[in-house]
Amino acid sequence: MSVKLTTEHIETIKQHGERTFPEECGGLLLGVIENDARIIREVLPLENIRKDSRHNRVEISPLDYAKAEREAAKKDLGVWGYYHSHPNHPAIPSGFDLDHAPFIEWSYLIVSVRDGKAEEVRAWTVREDRSQFEEEEIVL
Amino acid sequence: MPKIVIPTALRQYAGNTAAVEVQGATAGEVLASLTSQHPDLKKHLYDANGKLRSFVNVYVNDEDIRSLQNENTPVGESDDISIIPAIAGGAEPLPDLTKDEIARYSRHLIMPEVGMDGQRKLKAASILLIGTGGLGSPLGLYLAAAGIGRLGLVDFDVVDHSNLQRQIVHGTKDVGRPKIQSAKDRLSDINPHIQIDTYETALRADNALDIIKPYDIVIDGTDNFQTRYLANDASVLLGKPNVYGSIFRFDGQASVFYPGGGGPCYRCLYPEPPPPGLVPSCAEGGVLGILPGIIGVIQATEAIKLIIGQGEPLIGRLLLFDALKMKFRELKLRRNPECPLCGENPTIKELIDYDVFCGITPPEPAPKVEVVSDWEVTPAQLKAELDGGKKLTIIDVREPHEWQIGNLENYGSRLIPLGEFSSRVGELNSDDEIVVHCKMGGRSAKAYGVLKEAGFTKIRNLKGGILAWADQVDPNLPKY
Repeated sequence: MSVKLTTEHIETIKQHGERTFPEECGGLLLGVIENDARIIREVLPLENIRKDSRHNRVEISPLDYAKAEREAAKKDLGVWGYYHSHPNHPAIPSGFDLDHAPFIEWSYLIVSVRDGKAEEVRAWTVREDRSQFEEEEIVL
Repeated sequence: MPKIVIPTALRQYAGNTAAVEVQGATAGEVLASLTSQHPDLKKHLYDANGKLRSFVNVYVNDEDIRSLQNENTPVGESDDISIIPAIAGGAEPLPDLTKDEIARYSRHLIMPEVGMDGQRKLKAASILLIGTGGLGSPLGLYLAAAGIGRLGLVDFDVVDHSNLQRQIVHGTKDVGRPKIQSAKDRLSDINPHIQIDTYETALRADNALDIIKPYDIVIDGTDNFQTRYLANDASVLLGKPNVYGSIFRFDGQASVFYPGGGGPCYRCLYPEPPPPGLVPSCAEGGVLGILPGIIGVIQATEAIKLIIGQGEPLIGRLLLFDALKMKFRELKLRRNPECPLCGENPTIKELIDYDVFCGITPPEPAPKVEVVSDWEVTPAQLKAELDGGKKLTIIDVREPHEWQIGNLENYGSRLIPLGEFSSRVGELNSDDEIVVHCKMGGRSAKAYGVLKEAGFTKIRNLKGGILAWADQVDPNLPKY
């Protein structure tokens, strides 16, 4: 599997990360599965509902998720992934990310934001046995 | 009948529908109805103990059933029931530095490239050192001093006198101790703030993944091909960077193999090991004692750069060092798309038998006991005594040109040709333990007789001479 997005999508994710720096941010990736690739059609920035540790924790409201599913369905899309930022930290998933990754079918994008400036965006998937993340190719 | 809305990612296990009609009057009943219709969903919603996975939320209208009556929450025809994933993430929080640590690391803290954040990353980091020998010594010393929070040491060897020329983490007082014990003592003394885990074992295919898994970075400090391929394969399979270094005589190499970071792996560079015996080890070919210091410190530098995220890592670059010319060169390394391990269609998906891969045959069973007279010593026994640190005087009674072909000078052997032997007995001390040898044992038996005649008692003859030594102990010794 690979994940396909546009440079505008990457830009949206980076800007969200820079805007919320030094706190973490997150959002959902809406798209379709085609030819063994997750094709992202829409990046949906959402609110971080965590009250504490916002510099290294992010949480998405379940109701925002349900709403995103409804919106996606109207456009014949589905929710196929999730992105979040790592302020002053590499774009490599943490143990916390692994423990909180809901689906092995999703793409997990992480943007590293260093001192307010978004650097690399990397994509990951969870192994079927949920033991670890594996890096996934981003096709632009 | 009520309907449950299924999240996109799980619809493939629910007949590819967005909502499934279910039966039941409570949340628990409708979930049971759902998984009985679509059994494939079960393992995605429930863990091995049959409990709803922590990230699975069940909502009735806008309420989580956990805040209602859990699985007993009543549901009716008109209720919206949804399975909604809990979505959270975040970088690991970095540990704080104590006042003592701040004082210790002050030369790091005042550089913006490290600073408090970088030093806290070093404290949060974990590195596995495979081998505590030539490369492992400077690696361990500097990484411990730099404040890497957790260092793992893997070694099965004991400290030997021949190690001390380069393995500077061990001291003369440590000879005979397990290397990991000796190294742990020294590293804890350098930095009591760090955790040191020890693994007194060889790294093998059946333990490598378990040992490597809890570490962020792997550093291979061994000098045999089996372990080098094993460390490479295990690191790639686990997605960890592998900081590579190797040394021989006056030459060294270093790189960072990290397909996860966009670079190649060791197999991209060397798909196959060389035939056994073609590339001598340091034990066979020698190594300048300082060389592992230089290469090991380069490896340590790369590990620290990876952790603090500064500079340009040696990913995709092979650094070559020549100590005689005092020159560094650099080669670009590219990822091989055909690589069986990290290429586009990998064929290696688990660890293999690295002895077979490297053409190493397991040692033959011990030969049947041969009769050794008490005035003789076998090559293996002599080697064991020398390795054990026993002080022996070895006298070679061959001719000088035979000596030049090969000799045991490394073990302190001296040349006294048989023709001069009688007149030079005075050079020997009858209090020393003496071993005499020649090419095959005949001439040295005569020398043995001369010494016995002269009143020496602590003498033995090397059975089979230097040829037997070459056969049984040192296959690199030329035979003639």
